[in-house]
Amino acid sequence: MSTAGHPFRDNVTMLRRNLLHARRYPSLTLNLLLTPVILLLLFVYIFGDTMSAGITGGPGDRSEYIAYIVPGILLMTIGGTAIGTAVSVASDMTEGIIARFRTMAISRASVLIGHVVGSVIQTLMALAVVLGVGLAIGFRPDATPVEWLVAVGLLALVSVSLIWIAVGMGLVSPNAEGASNLALPLMVLPLLSSAFVPVDAMPGWFRWFAEYQPFSPAIETLRGLLLGSEIGTRNAVLTVGWCLGLTVLGYFWSKARFNREPGS
Amino acid sequence: MSAAAHAFTDSATMLRRQLRHMLRYPTLTLTAAGVPVVFLLLFVYVLGGILGSGLGGPSGGRDTYVNYVVPGVILMTAATAAQGTAISVAMDMTEGIVARFRTMAIARVSVLTGHVLGSLTQTLLSMTIVTGVALLVGFEPTAGFAEWLGVIGLLVLIIFALTWLAVALALKARSVAAASNMLTPLMVLPMMGSGFVPTDSMPAGLQWFADYQPFTPFIETLRGLLMGTPIGNNANLALGWCALIALGGYLWAKKLYNREPTQ
Repeated sequence: MSTAGHPFRDNVTMLRRNLLHARRYPSLTLNLLLTPVILLLLFVYIFGDTMSAGITGGPGDRSEYIAYIVPGILLMTIGGTAIGTAVSVASDMTEGIIARFRTMAISRASVLIGHVVGSVIQTLMALAVVLGVGLAIGFRPDATPVEWLVAVGLLALVSVSLIWIAVGMGLVSPNAEGASNLALPLMVLPLLSSAFVPVDAMPGWFRWFAEYQPFSPAIETLRGLLLGSEIGTRNAVLTVGWCLGLTVLGYFWSKARFNREPGS
Repeated sequence: MSAAAHAFTDSATMLRRQLRHMLRYPTLTLTAAGVPVVFLLLFVYVLGGILGSGLGGPSGGRDTYVNYVVPGVILMTAATAAQGTAISVAMDMTEGIVARFRTMAIARVSVLTGHVLGSLTQTLLSMTIVTGVALLVGFEPTAGFAEWLGVIGLLVLIIFALTWLAVALALKARSVAAASNMLTPLMVLPMMGSGFVPTDSMPAGLQWFADYQPFTPFIETLRGLLMGTPIGNNANLALGWCALIALGGYLWAKKLYNREPTQ
């Protein structure tokens, strides 16, 4: 078998391991799904009318706000599942299984790649559930099949980038709880973006941060794809730039941390 | 010395114990204030412009919304602190100190009373911090001296009621984690009341629930005292809920505490 064949087979084995974990312990995935779903229901049914009235300047209409909020909630879901990845990696690192893997003739990168690919699959499934809830409560996207494909591609790209960062966070954390706390910004940042309200409704000093942080351009791009609103070159470029930057950073950070000897 | 005097002395001792804890671990007070402060900043600076415009009012926008949201956030502080109390009681129950107290010649109720009075002090401190932050971000209450006295009285009653409920739930819980989880709904109730948006902007079923749950009359009474908005029947409802929750919590907590540890 070629040297390239070995890592591929190892990656598949590690992916299978992660998917088995996900199947055996669905509670972690469900807990992480719960936050975006609760926020979706809370913001639509409790704040929806008032939010809609504030955004449009007309009478409150909950259905208009559903259309506005769902793209942001979808990206928040990715942040939530990325926290799960950080916790899972930290658990692996502290429970001794990695020490066992290090002694085996397997590709080193495969352990991390298994986590990443497994998490991306889990994330896409979680996104399908959240999107289902969105559709059930009245979200009506008008995207064409091509736009849907691009939207799925965008969500996958964002997932890969955030999950690589989460893997790095999991590797530097002393335990699962520490990983959960360290990765918390991945859930908080969407709240400080254009997910729930337009950034121009925020105070000047804060607006700059909200506009240029990774989630806002990604949300605006997704919103444009699903609902036909203006995307703008800036948002598309920023989204792809952030995704590539975070992926490269997360990958090299994770690789460097993982390749260090356990004692060092 | 009479039994009542004994109980009073023992309660004072237990209160002193709780206040010592509070001084040694100030993070508990800061945490109780921290969550509401984060909510306040999030709802004022991130969502406030839109929610304020949605509410309408004379000027709309963030300035209107600060004054609207603060009473709800202050009551969220009471809910957060109640969760802290539940954790504290559950820790006492699981760490064996209560078993030690049971063997001593002290009034049984004093252990719980100490927790409640200590929590009351701690929550009022946390509320002072939250109100201070609110004033910094633009909260402008119109209350006079009498109204401020009414505000303090109302908050003491609400804290007292929620704390007894928290103590009872903590005694019912089997672990510290369970006690913490049992109190989570208390954190959500201000959001499902009139704390952040008027109840008439909610769908019918939810509006009915929001109108009749305890936090809505609490918030409306507090808002009326601080901002001069009409209170109506909310004051009576708030006092009724306080009495009911406090009495229910006290009797339930007493019953659970007086059971033998093995039961």
